[in-house]
Amino acid sequence: MSVDVNHNFEPVNASGFSLVDMLLDEQRQPTAVETFARLQVADRLPTQEKYYRELLPLSPPRPGEQYAFEVDLDRCSGCKACVTACHTLNGLDENEVWRDVGLLHGGTTDLPVLQHVTTACHHCLEPACLIACPVNAYEKDPLTGIVKHLDDQCFGCQYCVLACPYDVPKFNKKKGIVRKCDMCSQRLAVGEAPACVQACPHEAIRIKVVDRQDVAHDCESSLFLPGAPDPQLTLPTTNYKSRRPLPRNTLPVDYFRVRREDSHLPLVLMLVLTQLSVGAFLIDLLLKSIVTFDREVLFAVHPVHCAAALLFGVTALASSTCHLGRPLYAFRAVLGLRHSWLSREIVAFGLFSALAGLYACSSWLWPTAQENVSLTKALGAAVVGSGVLAVFCSAMVYQATRRPFWNAVGVNTKFFLTTAWLGLAAALLTSMIAVGWSGSLSASQALTAYGELLCKLLLGVSAAKLTFESLTFLHLRAKHTTPLKRTALLLVGPLAGVTWKRFGLGAVGGLALPALLLQSQTFRPGPGFSDQAIALIVSGLFLASLAGELLERYLFFVAAVAPRMPGGLA
Amino acid sequence: MIRQTLRQTVAQLTSVLHQRDGQRTRQLLLSPGQFGLGLVPERRQPDAITSMVCGYCSTGCSLDVHLQDGQAINLTPTSEYPVNLGMACPKGWESLRVLDSPDRATTPLLKNQRGRLEAVGWDTALRTFVERIKQIQAQHGAESVAFISTGQIATEEMALLGALAKFGMGLVHGDGNTRQCMATSVVAYKQAFGFDAPPYTYQDFEESDVLMLVGANLCLAHPILWERVVRNPHDPQIIVVDPRTTETAMQATRHLALKPKSDLALFYGLAQVLLEEGWIDRLFIEAHTSGFSEFATFLRPFTPEVVEAATGIDEATLRDIARIIHEGRRVSFWWTMGVNQGYEAVRTAQAIINLALMTGNIGRPGTGANSITGQCNAMGSRLFSNTTNLLGGYDFLDAEHRRKVANILGIDDACIPSRNSWAYHEIVEGILQGKIKGLWIIATNPAHSWINQGQLHDILGRLDFLAVQDMYHNTETARRADLVLPAAAWGEKEGTFINSERRIGTIKKVRQAPGMALADFSIFRLIAHYWGCAELLSEWDSPPAVFQILKRLSAGQPCDISGIEDYQMLDRLGGIQWPFPSDDPPSEQQRRLFADGRFYHPDGRARFLFEAPRPMPEPPNNKYPFLLLTGRGSASQWHTQTRTRQSPVLRKLCPQEIYVEINPLHARELAIKPNELVLVESQRGCLWAKAFLTATVRPGQVFIPMHYDATNQLTDAVFDPYSKQPSYKACAVRIRRESVSTKSTSRGRP
Repeated sequence: MSVDVNHNFEPVNASGFSLVDMLLDEQRQPTAVETFARLQVADRLPTQEKYYRELLPLSPPRPGEQYAFEVDLDRCSGCKACVTACHTLNGLDENEVWRDVGLLHGGTTDLPVLQHVTTACHHCLEPACLIACPVNAYEKDPLTGIVKHLDDQCFGCQYCVLACPYDVPKFNKKKGIVRKCDMCSQRLAVGEAPACVQACPHEAIRIKVVDRQDVAHDCESSLFLPGAPDPQLTLPTTNYKSRRPLPRNTLPVDYFRVRREDSHLPLVLMLVLTQLSVGAFLIDLLLKSIVTFDREVLFAVHPVHCAAALLFGVTALASSTCHLGRPLYAFRAVLGLRHSWLSREIVAFGLFSALAGLYACSSWLWPTAQENVSLTKALGAAVVGSGVLAVFCSAMVYQATRRPFWNAVGVNTKFFLTTAWLGLAAALLTSMIAVGWSGSLSASQALTAYGELLCKLLLGVSAAKLTFESLTFLHLRAKHTTPLKRTALLLVGPLAGVTWKRFGLGAVGGLALPALLLQSQTFRPGPGFSDQAIALIVSGLFLASLAGELLERYLFFVAAVAPRMPGGLA
Repeated sequence: MIRQTLRQTVAQLTSVLHQRDGQRTRQLLLSPGQFGLGLVPERRQPDAITSMVCGYCSTGCSLDVHLQDGQAINLTPTSEYPVNLGMACPKGWESLRVLDSPDRATTPLLKNQRGRLEAVGWDTALRTFVERIKQIQAQHGAESVAFISTGQIATEEMALLGALAKFGMGLVHGDGNTRQCMATSVVAYKQAFGFDAPPYTYQDFEESDVLMLVGANLCLAHPILWERVVRNPHDPQIIVVDPRTTETAMQATRHLALKPKSDLALFYGLAQVLLEEGWIDRLFIEAHTSGFSEFATFLRPFTPEVVEAATGIDEATLRDIARIIHEGRRVSFWWTMGVNQGYEAVRTAQAIINLALMTGNIGRPGTGANSITGQCNAMGSRLFSNTTNLLGGYDFLDAEHRRKVANILGIDDACIPSRNSWAYHEIVEGILQGKIKGLWIIATNPAHSWINQGQLHDILGRLDFLAVQDMYHNTETARRADLVLPAAAWGEKEGTFINSERRIGTIKKVRQAPGMALADFSIFRLIAHYWGCAELLSEWDSPPAVFQILKRLSAGQPCDISGIEDYQMLDRLGGIQWPFPSDDPPSEQQRRLFADGRFYHPDGRARFLFEAPRPMPEPPNNKYPFLLLTGRGSASQWHTQTRTRQSPVLRKLCPQEIYVEINPLHARELAIKPNELVLVESQRGCLWAKAFLTATVRPGQVFIPMHYDATNQLTDAVFDPYSKQPSYKACAVRIRRESVSTKSTSRGRP
C-alpha cells in the first residue's frame, strides 16, 4: 500500500460540515429510550422474588421472637456482592457501606482453611448503640426486633459508634448523623427481601425468625466467630452456621494488624478541659478549707481562679459541641438520662457549669462574702460535687463501651488524676495571674501560704499518674495478642512519637518544674527566684502539664483498640 | 378547637425533642420501583429500564439500568437473564460509579515540547495521529506501525478497528490484550476442534454430576459462574486442580494441590489410568476423533509413579479422581488462567480436552472441555477483531478466504494483508529490534499488565510515536503516551459483546460521555476520515450497520449469526448464542456444540493432541528459592484496577496495598512477622509487599495478586510456543526482610 504523507484531508468540507462535530453531537444523544425501554412488567411481584422467596420466613415473628440474619458460611465465597447491593439498593452515600466482608484463615499446610464472613448489624437483644444513645435515636422494634436508627433524631454524637462492639453504626460526616443497617425493614414490611439477601448469588444470607431466649442462651457460649467480640456484651442475633468446624487456630486475617482508632479531637479537648475546670474548683475548695488565707491574697486570687476555672469549663463544653454532627440539637441529650452515660455526662456538666457560673460570679460580685458565708461554701461544695459527678459520668461513658483499655478503674484513675493534676497546676497559674493583675501582691507573698503544698501534691499526683499510665506497657509481655497488648504495641509502635512527648511533657510539667520550685525555696522567706522567674516557671509547668494531658487523652482515644468483626487484608 | 391546637403544639414540641421523621429519614425512603424492580430508593425512581451486558468479565451478566430522562441513575442485575439469574458481582453493581471520575480523559492530550501532555482539540489530535503515523510508515514501511487492541470494547468497534488498521491504514501487525488471557484456549480449540469454539452453555454448570475446575478460582474471578455451580441440584463432585487453596478449592469435594505447572503430567496420568482401566468411551472415540491410538502409545510412560514425582499427587488420589470421572454420568472440565497462562498452556488445555473426548464427555448436557474466558468481549475479539484471524474466523494466509471477505465487504482483496500479524510479544520484540516505530494502544494497559514490566517500560521508550486511546487519561500506559485519545466507556456507547458461552448481548448508551470523549467507534471513523480511507469503510457508519456486516461475514462459518435480526432481537431473546444461522434459527435459550459429534475439522473429527511435558523455564534455585504464583486477588478488583479503583466502595472491598502470601513455615524460618513489609526479588526486578502468612500457599511457593502495578516487575517473559500467551504464573523469586533503615532507600523500583 502506498503511503501518502502529504495527503490532504478536509475535516471540514466546503459546506461547513464537520465530522468531529457531528460525532460529538451524536455522542451526547442517549440511545433512544423507545428502542430499548422495557415495558412495564404486568406482574405485581418483583421479578427477583422467585430467587429470594425461600430465604424469607413464612410468617412474622410471634411474641418472644424476632427477625435475624442467618449466614451460611459454607456458601459465603467472598464475592462481596452483598455489600455493593446494600449500597446501591439503599441509595447510600458514595463512601458509605453498611455491610462488610471479613476473612478468617487458619488450619495447617495440609488442610488450610479460608473462610469469608459477611457481616452487618446483628440486631442485638441488648443493643449497645441503643443503650448508649443519649437522644433515644435508636429503637428496637417490639415486633420485628430490628434495631432501627431514627436519622432525624440523631444529633451526631457518635457515641453509638464507640459503643457498638461490631463497628456497625457509621458516622456520615456530610449529614452530621450516624446511619446503619435496618435489615431493609421497609422491604421486609412489604414482603421483599433485604438487599443483601436478594443479591447474594449463593444464597448465603437469609432472614430467620429466632426465639429471643434461644439467642440469649446461645450467647452463653463465648463462641460467635473467631476473633469476634464476646457475644455476651450485646447478645447479637445473627447466626453463622457451617457444616465444617473451623480449626482452633482460625483467626481473622487482620488479627495481627494494629490500627489506630479515631482521635475524636473535640472530645480530647473537652475531657481535659472539663477535668481541669473541675480540678480547679476542687483545689479552690480544698485550699479554702485547710489553708488560713491572708485576706489580701484571698481577695486577689480567688475571683481570678474561679473565672479561669469557669473559662476552661466553658471552652471545654463549647469544644464538645464541635463533636456533634448537629450541635443545635444538643438539648435532646436529656432524653437518654435513664440509660445513657453520655446523657448523664451532659446533664451533669450542664449542672456543673450553671453552679460554677453562679459561684464564679458571686466571687467577683461579693468578694468579701468569700470569707465565711456558709451559702458560698455550700455553693462551692455543690460546684465541686457536680463536677466530680460529671467527671465520673465522663469516665463511665467510656467504661460502658467495655473496651479493655477503657476499663472502669483505668478511666476513673486517669480522669480523676488529670482533674487533680491540672487543678493544682491551674491553681499555681491563677495565683500568678492574680499577682500580675493586682499589682500590689508579690508572687512569693501569694504562694507562701499554699505554694509548697500545691507543688508537693502535684509531684505526688503526676508521679502516680505517669506510673499508672506506664503500667500499660506491661502488656507488651503478654503471650497473646490481647486488646491491651495491641494498645501497648500501638503506643510503642506507630504512636511512639506521641508517647514520648506525652511522658516528656508530663515529667517536665508534673515533676521537674514543681521540684524546681520546691528546691529553690521560693515559698519560704529568703532569697529565691524573682517574680518573673516564678511566673515563667509556673506558666511552663501549667502549659507542659496541659499539653501532656492533652496528648495522654489523644492516646486514650487513638490507642483504645476497638473490638470488631473479622476484617479483610489492609 | 383550642384543644386541637394545643395538641398540635404539643406534638410539634414533642417532635422537636423526639423526631421520628424528617428530611434525613426521607433520604433513605424506598418506594416501588415499577418494572418489576421491587423497592428502590425514592430519589432514584426510574422512568424507564433497559438491560445491557456488563462490561467487565466474560461471564456476560445482564444489568438492568435504571433511567431518568434517558440517563442512567442506578442499576440492578437482570432477574430474567439466562446468565446471571438476577445476580451480579460487586464490579457489576458498581459499573456506573466508575464512569464519574476526575481521571476520565475528556479531551485529546498531546505531548508538548516539555514532554507534558497538553489538551488539544480533536482536529489537532487527529491530524497529528495521521501525520505521525504516515511519516513513520513513509520512513520505515507500512508495517512499522502496530496496534494493540482489547477484549473490552464492542465487537463492532473491534471489527472497525481491524478493518481500518489493516485494510485502510495498511498495518500488518495488530494484536489484542486477549493474548494475555485467551490465546491458549483459542489455539487449543482450533487445533482440537477445527474452530475456536467453546462448546458449552452455562446451564452445564448446573447439570454436571462431576465438575473439574483447573486453574480457575471461580469464587473470586467469576462469582456468577460459581452461583451456577452452587445451584447445581445434583450434589456434584467438584474437583479443583490448583496449587493454592483458593476460595474455590475450599468449596471443592476434592482439591488437588499439585505442584505448579505440573498439569500436563497430571492429566496424562489420569488419561493413562482411564485407559488402563478401560474407563473410556470407545464408540465415541472411534466415531468422532482421530489420533487416539498415538495418544494411547504416548501415555504409556505416565505411570502413577511418574505422575506422583512430577505433580506430588499420589497414586491413590490419581486413581480416585479417575474413578470419579469414570463414574460421573455428566462430567464437565473447566479451565481458566491457571491453564492459559503457562509455558505449555495449549498442550495443557488439550490434555483436558483429551480427557473429555476419551470419556465421551462432550456434546451432552453437563459435559464439555470448557474454557472460561476473561474479558467481557474476548470472544468478540476472537472472531471479529481482524488480528489473529481474518474477520469472521477466516485465515489471512488463505487467498480464497481473503477473496471471500473482500467480496462480502466490497473491497479490493489486495487491501487484505496476506500475512499473519505478529503476536503481542512479537510486536514488543519488534519495537526492541527497531522494526516497530509507532504503536497505537486501545483500551488496555500494558505498562501495568505486560510481563517483565521493567523491560517493557524500556521498550515503550524506544517508540517514535505512542498513541493511547482510553477512558482514563492517567493509566500507567496513557501517562507514557505521545497522544491520548479520550474514549467513551461502557454505558456511553452502543454495540454487542460475546460472552464465554458464545452468547451475544447488547450494550447501550445510557450516560453522557464526559467532555469531548467519543465512542471508540466514532474515533475509528474519524481516523478513517482523516486518513483518507473513509470511502473504503463507508458502510461502517454505525454499530448496528457493522453488526449487519458481521452477520454477512459469519454466514456459513461455525460462528454463523446471520439469523439474528438486530439488537432488539438480542434483547428480546435474552442474548443469543452462536451459531444462529438464518436458514435454521434454533429456538432453545441454552445451547451447546457438538451434540451430533461432528467437529469443525474437514473430516468432522476432533483431534487428540499431546506433547511431552517440558521442565519449567525458571524453577526455584538456590538464589531464588521460591516460586511466584500470580492471579486474581479479590472479586472487587479487575485486572489493572484502572476502572475498579474509581469506585470508593470497591476500594473498600480489597486490600489497597500489594501483599505477598507466604506459608507460615517459611515465615518462621525467615522470621517474618504478619503484615511486615518484605522485599520480593526476581532476576528482573523487586518490590516491597506486606507479608500475609497463610497456609493456603504451599511451602516453596508465594502468591502475589496481579492487580498491583509492581507485580509484573518480577514476572518472567516466557510464552507458550503455540498460543504466544505469557506465562505469568511461575517464576523464581527470593524474599528478604530488610532493616528499617534500608527500607526507605530501596523501596523504589530497581
